[in-house]
Amino acid sequence: MAAIPPLAAEPIFHISRLPVTNSYINSTLTLFGFIVFIIFLNAGIKKYYSKSRAPKGIVNFFEGVLEFMLGYFDQVTHDRKKSVKFLPVVGTLFLFILVSNWIGLLPGINSVIIHRGAETLPLFRPADTDLNLTLAMAVFAVAISHILGVATIGFFRYANRFIKLGDLYQAVKSLKPVNILTAIVEFFVGIIEIFSEIAKMVSLSLRLFGNIFAGEVLMTVLAGLIPYLVPLPFMALELLVGLIQAVVFTMLALVYLTMATTDTHGHAEIDGHSGHAEAEENQVPAV
Amino acid sequence: MNLLHYLAQFIIPIARAQETAASGNPAAALGVDWRLFVAQLINFGILLFVLWKWAFVPIAKKLEERTAKIEKSLHDADRIEKEKREFENWRQAEIIKTRQEASAVVTAAQSEAQKAKQQIAAETKAEQEKIVAQAKQQIDSEKNRSIAEAKSEIANLVTAAAEKILRKKLDAKADQELIKESLKSI
Repeated sequence: MAAIPPLAAEPIFHISRLPVTNSYINSTLTLFGFIVFIIFLNAGIKKYYSKSRAPKGIVNFFEGVLEFMLGYFDQVTHDRKKSVKFLPVVGTLFLFILVSNWIGLLPGINSVIIHRGAETLPLFRPADTDLNLTLAMAVFAVAISHILGVATIGFFRYANRFIKLGDLYQAVKSLKPVNILTAIVEFFVGIIEIFSEIAKMVSLSLRLFGNIFAGEVLMTVLAGLIPYLVPLPFMALELLVGLIQAVVFTMLALVYLTMATTDTHGHAEIDGHSGHAEAEENQVPAV
Repeated sequence: MNLLHYLAQFIIPIARAQETAASGNPAAALGVDWRLFVAQLINFGILLFVLWKWAFVPIAKKLEERTAKIEKSLHDADRIEKEKREFENWRQAEIIKTRQEASAVVTAAQSEAQKAKQQIAAETKAEQEKIVAQAKQQIDSEKNRSIAEAKSEIANLVTAAAEKILRKKLDAKADQELIKESLKSI
């Protein structure tokens, strides 16, 4: 009987001081899988693009995937140029999360057991059931949104979103008490925004981790109760969850990127944007 | 009972993990380890780099190129279609114009020919009349001349005859008178 997976991924062996966990093995295998795919893809690219022939097979497939993703990105960014600009970051997030989620459902994951003394450890564990990976991706996504934000609209304008000294100065200069009061309130709202950035990372990473981990626990429990046929519909649901979580993570990352790189003029627009983001944020956890 | 026992096996470790989370560092209970975090970040970074350099950028570029090319082709097709239509219109107009011109030329030529014909006919008639008139005149003068010649011839003949007959009977004076008389009576 397979034991329920613990919250933390179990170390299988150590490379000097780095504990190589079963989740890390999975994420590295996924990476290698992608590299092999890229090698084949590039062979195809050489074959079809250099002679400007109509692409077939793997190149055509990947072009289709890109078109599909860009179509969805356009709904968020409303600008094909921006979608193409964000495609590498957001597309990598989507493909990596989706593929590692689906690889986690393959037979052999969680069922290949190695014995270490009395305890038994699964050799493979879905990559996204390790908070380290989801946190790494979330931190990366939010960090890149800030970097691109600063690069797009300038450091001081961007910093003014969080530490609203500029707005405060403008309000004091206008000498209207109402304006000054609003600016002071806005100043503290700006400081809260800094915490919301941390909340973004936490919510992104925990949402993905929690959903995929819960799926794993569910599969384990079901397989322990009735191992035949009954887990199948849940397996199908897990396929769906894997896709949905990949979409949710990706779309939120894209929303953050779009918001960070949109130059806002005046408070009304800033409020409009953050309100929009909150609405999205509130909708998504329900999934 | 058996089922409950089974479920307890799953629930107890979760409860233990929650205890650890509540008592100690929640991040540690969730398995967050900075070394693993960095390792996973590097994994993700490698994947991002590889996909960026060899998948997303070349293919996205190609897709954009293809979009531009297709748009240009469609635009060109529209333009060519328009030009073709314009050319067709121009051709039709040109054909109509040419036909009109040709028929005008033919009409002009016909009227010209008609005029020429009439003129030639008129000229011919005038020429004929002239020739006829000249011929008449010539005939008249010829006639007159013939008559005059004939008169003088006859007079000579008569004179000669009368001389032969009257030589001996008349003198010169009577002869002249006789001649005159006979001439008057002619």
